[in-house]
Amino acid sequence: MLKLLIFPAMALVIVMAFVLPSPMNPQISLGPVDAYRIFYFHVPAAWVAALSFVVGMFQSISYLRTKDADYDRKALAANRLGIVFATIFAKMTWGEFWNWSEIREVSLFILLLIYGGYFALRSALNDDDVRASFSAVMTIIFTVSALFLIFVLPRIYPAFSQHPSDTIVDNQGKMSLSPMVAIVFGLSMVTYTALYFWLYDITIRVDRYIYKLKSER
Amino acid sequence: MIQLEAIDLSKSFGTRRIFENVSFSTGIGESLAITGPNGSGKSTMIHILTGLGRASSGTVQYSGDRGKLAFEQYHDRMSVVTPYHELYDALTAFENIVFYTRMSGREVSREDMDEAVKSVGLTGRGNDAVGSYSSGMKQRLKYALARLRQPEILLLDEPTAYLDASGKELILEYLKSLKNSALMVIATNEREEADFADRVCQLGG
Amino acid sequence: MPTVSVSWAGKITTVFRKEMLSEFRTRYAFNAIIMFSLVTLTVVSFSLGINRPGPEVMAALFWIILFFAAASGLAQVFVKEEESHTAGFLRLYAPATAVLIGKIIFNLFLLICMTVLLVPLYIILLDTIPQNFILFTIGLLLGIIGLAGSTTIIAAIVSRASIKGALFAVLSFPVLLPLLVAAIEITLVSFTGGDFAAAGSALQLLLAYDVVMLTLSIMLFDFVWQL
Repeated sequence: MLKLLIFPAMALVIVMAFVLPSPMNPQISLGPVDAYRIFYFHVPAAWVAALSFVVGMFQSISYLRTKDADYDRKALAANRLGIVFATIFAKMTWGEFWNWSEIREVSLFILLLIYGGYFALRSALNDDDVRASFSAVMTIIFTVSALFLIFVLPRIYPAFSQHPSDTIVDNQGKMSLSPMVAIVFGLSMVTYTALYFWLYDITIRVDRYIYKLKSER
Repeated sequence: MIQLEAIDLSKSFGTRRIFENVSFSTGIGESLAITGPNGSGKSTMIHILTGLGRASSGTVQYSGDRGKLAFEQYHDRMSVVTPYHELYDALTAFENIVFYTRMSGREVSREDMDEAVKSVGLTGRGNDAVGSYSSGMKQRLKYALARLRQPEILLLDEPTAYLDASGKELILEYLKSLKNSALMVIATNEREEADFADRVCQLGG
Repeated sequence: MPTVSVSWAGKITTVFRKEMLSEFRTRYAFNAIIMFSLVTLTVVSFSLGINRPGPEVMAALFWIILFFAAASGLAQVFVKEEESHTAGFLRLYAPATAVLIGKIIFNLFLLICMTVLLVPLYIILLDTIPQNFILFTIGLLLGIIGLAGSTTIIAAIVSRASIKGALFAVLSFPVLLPLLVAAIEITLVSFTGGDFAAAGSALQLLLAYDVVMLTLSIMLFDFVWQL
């Protein structure tokens, strides 16, 4: 029942995002002031997409260790949600923040490539066991590779070697959020995460149910 | 002494059920025939018994004197002959044999290879590429290889597939000679082969 | 009676030799890789014409050609086994790790053949000579080791799937990105005559990548093979 709190919380975030002054720091960034309000929405989306990636990795490892089909379902759910949120993030940022670092675009692009590859692989395999194991293996390989990328990407974009958020980070790289902004942002992060896990849970339960129906036939 | 026990095996591909609740057990010196109409899952069953395939439910267990055996432990003592697996066409018969015996961890001598090839009626063809063999010859070569491994477990899927009369005779002789020293499972449609076995497990009803 | 026992190294060598023998007689993968790299190189050279872009572009182009040539021929080593139905006996009779390592070494050999052909042609056709040739060679070597080490297991995965060719490239690309970035940097430094120190961190990264991905492949291969 606590899940229902997600709705009012999200509504609150949306309202506050527009009521409060824009979180943009005019000394650093350019572009339309109001557009920066998106900060409350797209950063959590990115966070959830990344979280999903990590969750998928752990579920994949668990699957390989136990061969329990439920873990494959969980990994699949994580990847589905991951691609959904990554796409949302993509939609929100591309074309909006042309001065934001390319590093974010590149990371996102790679993340989408990885998710795309995952689903392409799944659709190309018919045997349930093979599909589950191979997807799990591929996920782990992708994740390790992605870890390397985190170290590699800052090298090709040296100007953006920190995670760039030039609205809230000033020239010394320190965060300067006004308290209200921080609260609303925090709330948004929490709400997104809660929403994510709720969707994750539902997806898995639906999959389980479909599987049960199919095998009873 | 190796024992094989299958308990309550079921196999489905997606929603298509192939067989269910199949149980049997067998050991060295006993032979089991798996029979049934086409599509009843005989080949699938053999695949599961090799340890590479997985049943949808139920267990397959090989055990030795010292307890349960995992695939890594029994696969070197097992030979499989099936029309579904091929040897390397680009390699000669001898090269195939050398390859596989080395992968099992043993060096095989030229004499042993000659002997094996002779025993399946392929004398003089040892240095020919397997790609130039007929299906019957390939089947015989698979037996030569199986034999060289000195198996304690022998899994056969359609043992006399592609074989002419003399080939069939040769193979049945070989199987007879192994009957008492190996655990044999034969999946077949042929009456003759099913009768050869001590026990029968009928799939597909 | 066969009694002499064959060691792990022996088994790996056996797999390697079998691949060599098979490949020597049929030349599928070899032809594919050589043809592909030649064609790509020709296209690049032709389209560049007299324009000579800077060393960054040349370094990147070099590795792009390598990547695509690899994608065209490295999956062969497992795909051919599945398609000719020889994978069955291999799974039954041969130990997984030896199979993987033997095939990785074979893929490495293919890549070496390709680079031996490609490098002189690249230098001639595209008029680019690495100033620091030793660095260039080391970067190249580490790069192809990583290529073979990380994509061979992907080849095994793709061999059981239905759209093999494209899938292999699609899956390999994100996995190889760190390698490509590091390798391109090392190549770039070698083109412009930089010393080892300048390419230091890229070299470290590439070496780490090679070791980690190879280990990962070996650890995960059992899950891919024994099914």
